[in-house]
Amino acid sequence: MMSRLAKRRRRRAPDVERRIVSIADWHRPAIRRTLRTIHGVTLAFLFVVGLGPLLWLAKSAITPTQDTLRTPMALWPHGFDLSFLVTAWTETHIDHYFMNTVWIVVGCWLVQITVATSAAYALSVLRPRFGSLIMALVLATLFVPSIVLLVPLYLTVVNVPFLNISMIDTFWAVWLPAGASAFNIVIMKRFFDSLPREIFEAARVDGAGPFRLFWSIVLPMSRPIVGVVSVFAVIGEWKDYLWPLLVLRNPDLQPLSVRLPTLEPSTQLDIFLAALLISSVIPIALFLIFQRMFLRGSGLSGAIKG
Amino acid sequence: MRTWVSRDGLSTLVFLLPLLVIFGVFSWFPIGRALVMSFQETNLVSPPTWVGLNNFANVLSDPLFGTAVSNTLYFMLLALIFGYPIPLLLAVVMSEARHFKGLYSALAYLPVVIPPVVSVLLWRFFYDASPNGVFNTMLGWVGLGPFPWLQDPGTAMPSIVLEATWAAAGGTVIIYLAALLSVPTELYDAAEVDGASIWNKIWHVTLPHLRGILFITLILQFIATAQLFTEPFLFTGGGPANSTTTVLLLIYHYAFQNSLGGDYGMAAALSVMLAAFLGVFTAVYFWLTRSWSTSS
Amino acid sequence: MTPSPIGRFKTLAVVALAIVTVSACSSSSTPSSTAASAGTPAPNTTQAAATPTPGTTPKPVTITVASLLPGSTQSAFDAFNLRVDEFEAQYPWITVQGQEYQWLATTFTAQLAAGTLPDVFTIPFTDGKGLIAQQQIVNIDSRVRALPDADQFNPNLLVNGQDSSGKIFAVPTAAYGMSLTYNRTLFTQAGLDPDKPPTTWDDVRADAKTIAEKDKVAGFAQMATQNTGGWQLSTLTYALGGRMESVGSDGKVTATVNNPYTIAALQWLQQLRWTDNSMGSTFDYNWGTINQAFCAGQIGMFLGGSDLYTTMIQNDNLNPADYGITTVPLASVPTAALMGGGTLAAVNVNTTEAQRDAAVDWINYYYLDDMTNQNDAVENAKALQANKQPVGVPALPIFTKAIYDQDQTWIASYINVPTAQMAPFMNSIFSQPLDSEPVASTQTLYSLLDPVVQAVLTNKNANITSLLNAANTQVQTAIDKGE
Repeated sequence: MMSRLAKRRRRRAPDVERRIVSIADWHRPAIRRTLRTIHGVTLAFLFVVGLGPLLWLAKSAITPTQDTLRTPMALWPHGFDLSFLVTAWTETHIDHYFMNTVWIVVGCWLVQITVATSAAYALSVLRPRFGSLIMALVLATLFVPSIVLLVPLYLTVVNVPFLNISMIDTFWAVWLPAGASAFNIVIMKRFFDSLPREIFEAARVDGAGPFRLFWSIVLPMSRPIVGVVSVFAVIGEWKDYLWPLLVLRNPDLQPLSVRLPTLEPSTQLDIFLAALLISSVIPIALFLIFQRMFLRGSGLSGAIKG
Repeated sequence: MRTWVSRDGLSTLVFLLPLLVIFGVFSWFPIGRALVMSFQETNLVSPPTWVGLNNFANVLSDPLFGTAVSNTLYFMLLALIFGYPIPLLLAVVMSEARHFKGLYSALAYLPVVIPPVVSVLLWRFFYDASPNGVFNTMLGWVGLGPFPWLQDPGTAMPSIVLEATWAAAGGTVIIYLAALLSVPTELYDAAEVDGASIWNKIWHVTLPHLRGILFITLILQFIATAQLFTEPFLFTGGGPANSTTTVLLLIYHYAFQNSLGGDYGMAAALSVMLAAFLGVFTAVYFWLTRSWSTSS
Repeated sequence: MTPSPIGRFKTLAVVALAIVTVSACSSSSTPSSTAASAGTPAPNTTQAAATPTPGTTPKPVTITVASLLPGSTQSAFDAFNLRVDEFEAQYPWITVQGQEYQWLATTFTAQLAAGTLPDVFTIPFTDGKGLIAQQQIVNIDSRVRALPDADQFNPNLLVNGQDSSGKIFAVPTAAYGMSLTYNRTLFTQAGLDPDKPPTTWDDVRADAKTIAEKDKVAGFAQMATQNTGGWQLSTLTYALGGRMESVGSDGKVTATVNNPYTIAALQWLQQLRWTDNSMGSTFDYNWGTINQAFCAGQIGMFLGGSDLYTTMIQNDNLNPADYGITTVPLASVPTAALMGGGTLAAVNVNTTEAQRDAAVDWINYYYLDDMTNQNDAVENAKALQANKQPVGVPALPIFTKAIYDQDQTWIASYINVPTAQMAPFMNSIFSQPLDSEPVASTQTLYSLLDPVVQAVLTNKNANITSLLNAANTQVQTAIDKGE
């Protein structure tokens, strides 16, 4: 009895931090019961809404087409077949398109981080004469919704000014425009602004040049903000559809998001659902592994945007 | 500081170069080009010609323009009704949870990490309008339906918004959750001293504290929903009978959907008009966030 | 744009070489080499003799060509690759790279603007004139006219790829007549005789109702998105006796989409949808998804090209026993006609002269030779059969009927499609009057009619007349603007 109580207290210990409902209220049985019910209902609701569609997808990915069409909610009336997953992976080449997605995301991330850190460093630490003008021009792009750029940016990528080359059907067409994110630069610069100037001065006295200062001092100190920008970059690019649809016409280069709708009308339903399952399993696995980072990033986005 | 910089002007330029090149080519130049194109007739084949305000006039006289504008506003309204109160409610309940906190957030956030294209294709199957469709089967258990979902001009838009809300709500929940955790507990303590009930505390302490973040998510949601493309494009392509043709779909339609060459001028003109409209929201947003970040 | 004399000479050389290779091939591999040479028109022999190619191998050239639809089965791609290998063996200096390709009204422009089309690609008859006018495809007149059977093209089809002066820019590769495609298994299950498909629109309606009631699937389904709604509505209109456009004596085109026949067609759909409830619950089918739904046994009947069998086998896992086609019922008015269309093969403007030569060689080899050359016809049929791909799918002749009939006898022993199930179509297709698609702004016309079809199918109170009147105004605007 005693030990159970003790255990309970210990388990509660991290939760003692109260929120709207006071600790005293928590001890009142009526309130506690109501809250427990509300929480139970909420949890059940989240299970059904958040996980339900995925569970259904998992079930249907190994169910023959006819069963899925006729009795979508029945559990394997005519058995299940794991071969659809294999077919989706091998014949539909989900593996290939998945790797395309990964390459696109990695490249975009690299470009975004490079542009954001170097620009923020220059504008916040080095402070060139026209810095405020450049910053104003960057800020101005925040006011322009991305859709305005769709057609002119497309035409720009078709024929890059001065170079007269086309980036269509190369990953560069997705990678490079991703770097023009004013949001990244604003939050990165705001973070750099908050770094103590004394450290830079000290480094300068020690004889560090601007490159050394950037690489050995500023970058290591800005790990948290780089993490946040990375999470946004990865999620954003992972979700992108319209832009890669326009600029990556060669099926060999297309990411999953572009490829799946093309395949839908010409792929058997069971195999297609298996392909959908595979396409969502990997981001979900990444999410579960880096859950903390994802959620902190999202929460921070509110804080920063706020 | 200044002397050091002027001595290393070259290295400053090196650090600025990525920004200047990337923004120059992929942001500033296309923005300028959009403005120019909206006054030109251009199809990439013959050289562009200046047509004054013709593109704007053509857009305004297109019978689809009115449809697209009202559809977009309807979409924004529905997104507000579906997507605004539910995440707030969830966040408040979740912030009070004492067990499985991680599980709540993970479940709520799960739909956000699924690629939108996968979600749409999956939900399109859920929305199968036959009595054997997934949703219709489930609703059939409680004697409802079958509903036509995407196959009816009246229900197509709400169906799209429902999926879009499902896909995006998790992110909003997490933002609210972070904001809720930032409410100082002393405020609740103080309210309790005055004998405030739980509802009173939510009404007089929590919500006022969230006012800023609520307003910001509202504006962000407006800007985001006005630019939503993937969902209506993949769910219905604007149908049935143009009932889900949004402004963005119309822009895409002008530019890319005529098999004999797009009307880039009209697409640019409509883009510029949409930008002017959204610019107002964006300006308000920045004015607000600036005043917030300086005041707090 | 016009090819240089050198280019022309090269084409001749290429043709000559090709023929030499082919006959060498046939004499060694097939015993019926005499038949093969008999099948080769005489002028070619003289041509081959007239332009000897003493050891001048052309420079290596690489072309990209449209291969198959995205998502085709591996065996379909295997069969395609086999043909590429064969082609490269015949033309050792040409390297062919297949690029999967599907012409969609909704994506073609972006590809055109971005220059990402393959060097050889296909377009529907409807877009030939427009692309020629915009100089988006190459004048291949002299190269095509040098082909052995260039003078045998059905002139009514060839005209789709010619400019106003008769220069050839694109070559017809396939022509289809619309057919009423039906699921024989569903017919049987509903108590209908699959060997007696409907022959009037009233029959179609009655059978659709029976299938919907007995089989609980769509008795009759209609495409409605990606311009297919307007395409199918036009087919229905033609069959009832109407036309979507009229061309005046001065050449001026007038939109007539609000004609009484189109109204009747939409009313007919309205009755199936709202009175009989025999059209199922999906009203956003397009070309790909309706094939898929048909093969999944969800559709009793629909209007589709007579050549769909290949796609359905390659992409949609069709059970051959389900498949049946018959002719589209024509109303008993003199203007009633079967709307037909087809595919043109064209060459990308972003090509070198050598690539254009190679491109026309490929077009001849891949799309045409197996209809005009016995050896190629047999080899192709064999290759397809070996890869379990359909041989003998009904199509309309793009050359003269005589050539078509001859081709049919060549491949007769390799035919592996259920011809008995296609008999209702084959028996009467050649007696149906054929008319081509609307001539001006065709795809725009179709796209403007999509929402009209959708409205009738999804809104019980849709006002057909006012919808068509509004659409007609917009179509006329598009025609006047030349879009």
